[in-house]
Amino acid sequence: MAVPLFETENLEFSYNSRQSRPSLDNINIAIHKGVRAVVLGANGAGKSTLFYQLNGVLKPKKGVVKYNGKPIDYSQNSLYALRNEVCVAVQNPDEQIFSVTVEEDIAFGLFNTGVHREIIDKSIDDALFKVGMAGYRKKPVSQISKGQRKRVALAGAFAVNPKVLILDEPTAGLDPQTSCEVMEAIDQISITGTSVIISTHDVDLAYAWADEIYVLKNGKMIYSGEPGAFFSDKKSVISAELAIPHSFSVNSYICSMRGESETPYPRTDSQVICKILPSDAKVGKIRLIRTSKSVPDIGKIDERIGIYGFNTRRLFMDSGLPVDYNFNAVEHCIIEALNGNNVTLYCDECIADKIDSRIKSLSQFGKCPEVI
Amino acid sequence: MSEQQQMDTLVYGSRMVSWSPLGKLLFTITILIVNICTDSLFVPIVTFAIGIVMLFYSTVCKIPKFILLALLGAILIIVIGVIMVLITGNDESCVIWDDHILWLHICVTEISFNKAWLVFLRSIAGMTVMISFATSTPVPHLSQGLNQIHVPNEVTELITLIYRYAFLFLERMEIMWNAAQCRMGFNGFMNTMRTTATIAVGMFITSFDMASKAQIVLECRNYRGVFPVYNMPAKMSVKWILASVIIFAAIFVLGCYTSNTINMAKICGFI
Repeated sequence: MAVPLFETENLEFSYNSRQSRPSLDNINIAIHKGVRAVVLGANGAGKSTLFYQLNGVLKPKKGVVKYNGKPIDYSQNSLYALRNEVCVAVQNPDEQIFSVTVEEDIAFGLFNTGVHREIIDKSIDDALFKVGMAGYRKKPVSQISKGQRKRVALAGAFAVNPKVLILDEPTAGLDPQTSCEVMEAIDQISITGTSVIISTHDVDLAYAWADEIYVLKNGKMIYSGEPGAFFSDKKSVISAELAIPHSFSVNSYICSMRGESETPYPRTDSQVICKILPSDAKVGKIRLIRTSKSVPDIGKIDERIGIYGFNTRRLFMDSGLPVDYNFNAVEHCIIEALNGNNVTLYCDECIADKIDSRIKSLSQFGKCPEVI
Repeated sequence: MSEQQQMDTLVYGSRMVSWSPLGKLLFTITILIVNICTDSLFVPIVTFAIGIVMLFYSTVCKIPKFILLALLGAILIIVIGVIMVLITGNDESCVIWDDHILWLHICVTEISFNKAWLVFLRSIAGMTVMISFATSTPVPHLSQGLNQIHVPNEVTELITLIYRYAFLFLERMEIMWNAAQCRMGFNGFMNTMRTTATIAVGMFITSFDMASKAQIVLECRNYRGVFPVYNMPAKMSVKWILASVIIFAAIFVLGCYTSNTINMAKICGFI
């Protein structure tokens, strides 16, 4: 059995002795490397407090926090080393951003983690591009909107290229499109090897994205494991002051009307559509095109086009080629194909296999588009 | 856009933003000193001309209305001070006006009249030069410049943090102010006082809250006690020292040669 990335044993923490109940009470978790983990809970459940335990900012009153199988050493040098690998981005961008200009703030984290000055310049550009803020590098932070500040804060976290990225409410305060773009960036970062842990009370996001969820209520862990099992227990969901995800309830209603089994639980719109699609429905094909240094020329096509991945996005932006699905493109392309139309999806080479297997995994729900 | 943000935009858009902050500071201080070194009225006029040229060059002649209003406000205060200088002349010199209004002895003399003009012109000139410096030097640049002359890191980092957080506090205060207005918080004098006090208390508590959160985030971002600087501002070169020395010498010599050549009381026809 692999050693968990993070493990807590009987973790207990209170901010002060006057608290009526501890902020974290007897928490036992084991988060493994590469698993997309989401910490769910209502406001004040203890999500942020848990995150600050994982990077050693807060020290447990009782219990142990282990990173890579070893208890965290709270000496200053060990904490510097830990925080070089484990980056926490807080919820409020105004708390996260210290510098006056966008580039200075992103450079702040890079300098602190010992990145060389020559590399910093490119890292800033890359990080800003990932969050769709490429043109804002020189801007003073006070002159950009709160949503943009949020993206800058995320760029600051992406730039340091940590082994573990812990994001506290990464999509809070963002508009739907930016929210999708940010999740796409997080998705790609997780696919390319960084372990990502996020906290949220957006159940739809958690349900669609997470491999494992950890549900907190008043500082106590009430569930850990696969999301479907938690959301099928309505009492627990209500008790955690959460809601049932939209795709989960749609699936429940449809299955109840048809008298079918709710499992497998579809987590995205495309999976729901797959499940309810008539067996004789015509399904289109998805042409998956891998991009590396340039956009491959496939001639003139009469299909909708989607793009996915940092590199692909940059190539399309530079070349000015038309795009139909700029964000959440995998989902849009699948739905378009399920609607009977052929689509073309350009994506970065490094994530193409993951996307391919994601599309093929739809077969467990019913008909799935063919990838060519 | 709030006034603070307008100021920020102005500073970062200045044509002089990339110039050495220390050089600009030295140049400004030199001009301010030479401005008060001689009694000549020509000196503040020249200083004013330098200040206004720098201001127009720095802002590309786009000075926001709030700066002009602030200037007018400052001029009003200066005028009050100047009037005090004007009416408290020594009655042994050539008297222009001598009178008593209630308990106040008013004595305007040729010397006090000329001195009032000198004070007025010096103040306006000094203010123009300082504004041209303020509209071309972002605070972080200035603090980094101060680092170059070995001002302790703690001081310069505090300057940067105060500057950064000032905007956040003002933004928060504006939100609280608008929320109070939506709830009729400024309806009547007593109510206004109560609401203002509540907002002040709220801001005080917010500042503590922000400070504790900032501490956590600094640790999350692996802060090691020093704020690293990505864009080092241009260092002060010999050119700046030369320019400052030359301008000082030129204006000082001008001041010495033209001292007492302009008599405003005569020009205005009082004597």
